[in-house]
Amino acid sequence: MNKRPDHPDELLPWYVNGTLANGERQDVETHLQSCERCRQEVAWLQNLRTQVKDDTAGSPGELGLHRLLREAKAQKSAARQWWRPALAAAAVVIVIQSAVLINFLNRPAAITPLGGPAAEGVVLQVKFAPNATEAQIRELLQKTGATFIDGPGALGVYRLRLEDVTATQDQAIQRVIGELTARRDIVTYAARE
Amino acid sequence: MQEAEAIDNDAAGLLRRMAAGNEAALREFYQAFHGRVYAFALRRLRNPADAADVLNEVMLEAWRSAARFEGRSQALTWVLGIAHHKIIDNLRRQKSHLLDELDPEIADDDNPTAFDVLAGAQDAAQLRRCLDGLSDAHRLIVHLAFFEDLAYEEIARIADCPLGTVKTRMFHARRLLKRCLAGLNPRAVPADPEGSPQISHE
Repeated sequence: MNKRPDHPDELLPWYVNGTLANGERQDVETHLQSCERCRQEVAWLQNLRTQVKDDTAGSPGELGLHRLLREAKAQKSAARQWWRPALAAAAVVIVIQSAVLINFLNRPAAITPLGGPAAEGVVLQVKFAPNATEAQIRELLQKTGATFIDGPGALGVYRLRLEDVTATQDQAIQRVIGELTARRDIVTYAARE
Repeated sequence: MQEAEAIDNDAAGLLRRMAAGNEAALREFYQAFHGRVYAFALRRLRNPADAADVLNEVMLEAWRSAARFEGRSQALTWVLGIAHHKIIDNLRRQKSHLLDELDPEIADDDNPTAFDVLAGAQDAAQLRRCLDGLSDAHRLIVHLAFFEDLAYEEIARIADCPLGTVKTRMFHARRLLKRCLAGLNPRAVPADPEGSPQISHE
């Protein structure tokens, strides 16, 4: 990049869009008083800004809104249903545990009762490198046994679930995080949620 | 600036209501931001259908994640940050080579001539064509700086990159645009170094 050390080239776009802090703005204005080249550059940037703003893009408008509301309702409905499979599974566990408990009380030496929480998997927060390809991400997730839950959020964070790992298996979790972060070309951040 | 702050306070309020599951707030949030999110997506994806899909995904993500908005950034920065990552996802799915940073082998012009400076955007179609020829990273910076009038700190936050990278990309984008516009405008005349510059009028 050819920077002219005595000219505030880098700041001119933000002088033009009016967002420079006071100190920087004053420095630029002082410089412009005596630099014709930078004044011309400012004029060019002002023209560019005007043209960019005039280039209106349209929008799906009301159609987009209807689509959004329909899908948001569907999501809300699906979210209300999330507990049904979990409740069904929990009911099965309770029945089994009750049966086992009854048997345990009857024959304490013969039965090993079920124990521990139902395996729900562990959730990781991950950020991917901007240039990581879909194939790379898919391969890495398959290798580590992780699946997408949702994302990206505002900070580019995805939430992944480790299906075959329980919350108490710290070493296994750390191993997966290590495998993910070892591929710095694909993953820039990984941590347990 | 005060008006912008008022708008942002309203948006923050909408996000709080959305976090509580208020669909009317979602409707208002869409009305407030759909144009800007769509424009951001369209400029980068250059496909209206893809841009509409991204808009929908961004709004759904905002609906799901409203509770996570902590107010540390402006609502616009937050929602454009979501949009940025959804767009990257879309480009990744398309295996778009335009994700790659252009390697601007820009010859060092120690003294940019007035020809460079005055190869201005006289024609909107020419400008659109030249903007579409930039890499995604460059288009992003130009759009956020000149369509959204965002400060470079906010752009860095949205694009998730250092401040220096924002400024460098803008510098290269300007240089690439000028070269492109000069190439499309053969009647542009170099400035007379002794006098007033001559401007080509189309």
